[in-house]
Amino acid sequence: MNILVVYLLLLKATLTSFSGLASLPMVRNDFVVRYHVLSDRQLNTAVAAGRVGPGPLGIYVVSVGYLVAGIRGACAGWLAMITPAFLIIPMICFLGSRAEHRRAKAVTRAVLLAGAGLLASASAPLARDAVTGPLSLIIVVASLVLIALTRVDSLWIMLGAAVVGLLAFQL
Amino acid sequence: MPQARLDEITRLFFRVGTTVFGGGNTAIAVLQREFDRRGWLGPEKFALSFGLARLTPGTNFLAFCAATGWYLQGIGGAIVAVLGTTIPASVLVVWLTQAGEVGNGYPWARSVIAALLAAGVGTMLGAAVLLVRSQCSSKKWLRPVVIAVGSFILARTVGLSPLSVIGIAAAAGFFWTES
Repeated sequence: MNILVVYLLLLKATLTSFSGLASLPMVRNDFVVRYHVLSDRQLNTAVAAGRVGPGPLGIYVVSVGYLVAGIRGACAGWLAMITPAFLIIPMICFLGSRAEHRRAKAVTRAVLLAGAGLLASASAPLARDAVTGPLSLIIVVASLVLIALTRVDSLWIMLGAAVVGLLAFQL
Repeated sequence: MPQARLDEITRLFFRVGTTVFGGGNTAIAVLQREFDRRGWLGPEKFALSFGLARLTPGTNFLAFCAATGWYLQGIGGAIVAVLGTTIPASVLVVWLTQAGEVGNGYPWARSVIAALLAAGVGTMLGAAVLLVRSQCSSKKWLRPVVIAVGSFILARTVGLSPLSVIGIAAAAGFFWTES
């Protein structure tokens, strides 16, 4: 498949969705149903690879690009993933100068607080998958306490969790 | 507020792109804490970046990175933030795709990733606590707590989309201002 077509199809999917995996139906429709260059099993592999690795869930489009057209396809998928992100800059330029108003500040603070509620809400389904026993529950609680009550660098918390995971496997 | 250098921004976003598992929300939680720790971005700019990222097409987290990078160092900051977050993660996802395709199973890696996901959940919850605490004082705590808890209930119990919750919170913020 032509690399430009891969990019444009993936860009169409990312530009018309507003969260990581929301582009999946369009990707499936184009690559699996319409052009037959990807199987459902491969699409599942791409989604799983995106979920297992670090970074946003939307990164699965890189994997889709790779499965369709190799490394060049992965590059096309990566470009399609990052292109819409820069649309936020003109939005900031337009709204930024108006952000100092008292009511505007009250609105942005409310949005920030909504973000806290949404973070807690988004963590619930992840917790169902992540908490599989006492050890993972201890890791969740320890991470929460370290983040909320101390100034320990997040990197050490992640590395500590990784070491605990490795030790748990060896034991 | 300390000025962030381009190499410092690159290092932070690169690190988040390689070490934070559990999706964009976890990564935003980690970034929020790291900005707070370094004193790089005030709550207003963070909130504006967070809110606008939800309105930007594509992956919200990357729009958030572009916005915060832009605030820290202009267009250069936006570019290194997005590249730093996505390049290492993309390389890894290609490798994971190859591994998935040939059917290799790595039980030790699964154990490490499970621990990282658990730490990601704790990080998200901790960051939510930090966000609410940053807006509270001994006299002004009711509005922040009501909006945060209300948003949680609207998203979790009522099942509203994040965009709708943010819209309702923004309306609440507009009409319910602090004295």
